[in-house]
Amino acid sequence: MIFDLSRIAANNGWAMALTGAILVLLGLSLLSLIISQLHKILGFFENQPKSLPVEEIKPTQQASHADLLNDLEATVTLYQSLTAGLGERFDLAQLYRLAHKDQLPHPHLTLRTLRENGFLIASGDGTFSWKNA
Amino acid sequence: MELALDFLKNTGFAMADWRYLMMILVGILFCYLSIAKKYEPLLLLPIGFGIIIGNIPFFKGFGLGIYEDNSVLHYLYFGVTSGLYPSIVFLGLGAMTDFSSMLARPKLMLLGAAAQMGIYFTLLSALALGFDPKESASVAIIGGADGPTSIFLTAKLAPHLIGPVAIAAYSYMALIPIIQPPIMRLLTTRRERLIRMPDTERHVSRKELVFFPVVGVLLCCFLAPASIPLLGPFFLGNILKVSGVVDRLAKTASSAVIDTATIFLGFTVGASTQADVFITPKALGIFLLGSIAFSIATASGVLFAKLMNLFLKEKINPLLGAAGVSAVPGSAREVHLTAQKEDPGNYLLMHAMACNASGVIGSAICAGILWSFMMG
Repeated sequence: MIFDLSRIAANNGWAMALTGAILVLLGLSLLSLIISQLHKILGFFENQPKSLPVEEIKPTQQASHADLLNDLEATVTLYQSLTAGLGERFDLAQLYRLAHKDQLPHPHLTLRTLRENGFLIASGDGTFSWKNA
Repeated sequence: MELALDFLKNTGFAMADWRYLMMILVGILFCYLSIAKKYEPLLLLPIGFGIIIGNIPFFKGFGLGIYEDNSVLHYLYFGVTSGLYPSIVFLGLGAMTDFSSMLARPKLMLLGAAAQMGIYFTLLSALALGFDPKESASVAIIGGADGPTSIFLTAKLAPHLIGPVAIAAYSYMALIPIIQPPIMRLLTTRRERLIRMPDTERHVSRKELVFFPVVGVLLCCFLAPASIPLLGPFFLGNILKVSGVVDRLAKTASSAVIDTATIFLGFTVGASTQADVFITPKALGIFLLGSIAFSIATASGVLFAKLMNLFLKEKINPLLGAAGVSAVPGSAREVHLTAQKEDPGNYLLMHAMACNASGVIGSAICAGILWSFMMG
């Protein structure tokens, strides 16, 4: 076996080697580029349909906290859900603790507002009930 | 008495010559290396035992040998010559491969491409040494350090060389701990070997893992359609694994299916090294070129990593380039161990596995490209 470079040219070796090397580099570079972006592409498609309901829900939730005192009906509904397990008559301190536990904003101020607006009615024995209950 | 003498003339003892005995010794050596030294035992043991069986001299015409029509070995060998076993092995490999490391570090894929340069360098060397183009391509693919790929391409282009090519490919894969470390140390400075790679990479989601086989097979097979028989089953095996909906199939592909194919592949490739067919000057040339191919592949991966470092802000450890050859997980383990010799706290295994996985894809693409060139 004698090493003869002319055989490479005679068999189109240089072109095959160069083209082959470029093709494999190109192919894997492209694949590398695609997989580096794959999570972003998937993330884009994942977020698209979900973004609408999320956007709709979030402002509502924020409003229910921030504008609690301005929207008394919503506040009543929220606080009525807290007293559902306490019975028809309940102690304000109990309601205060539940509101505090659920991290509702300004529970003391809210209870005072609900009383002043007649939503919470004193029973005379230290307990309270809801106006429409 | 005459009958007994005739029988004795037809025994292996009477027909054996030095070539058969030498090959049987090679087979015993392979068995020894796989059992005692644990060098690639999954492959070297069936191959070694196949070499022993394939080199038991026999009376030609009985339909016993692997090259004789209607012999059992010949039927089993069909899985090699048709490219069936390599495809099945790739299916199992896909079901065993975890691409999350590669998906988290896509830039390391380039090292898998760079390490394939050994293939093209060897193609030129083989042509210059007088191999015809199809034989040259078959010898060159040894540089991919991927046994099934080498066997597949050789079966398609130069079936008469399957034995030497397969033996060379698997021998050099088994010799990774001896071949690669000196090259890695020669081409890198201590400072480079001490480079630590970031541990924290982004989390790869299940969706990415599921999408990757689809994207991978489309891109790679559109680029080199001749790689479909290898990459098709490979990515199929992977999607079986990552989809999570066909665990039973994935488990079977990664155990019983790949094991069965590996046994028959190794055994018949070993048996195909029949001394009168195997021991030729070309086989010696293939062993020589195979070692060059493997060394160049390692070197080109390391050098490309150094080249990348010229442009990267966050440097990569150039040792990782050596894992770009597709010998999974041998070369990744060797990179890791070489780095740990300099700094025991440097863990490169996962990064090296990313290069390894890329190397598997790269060498299969190269096989497809070379096949296309030779058929064109």
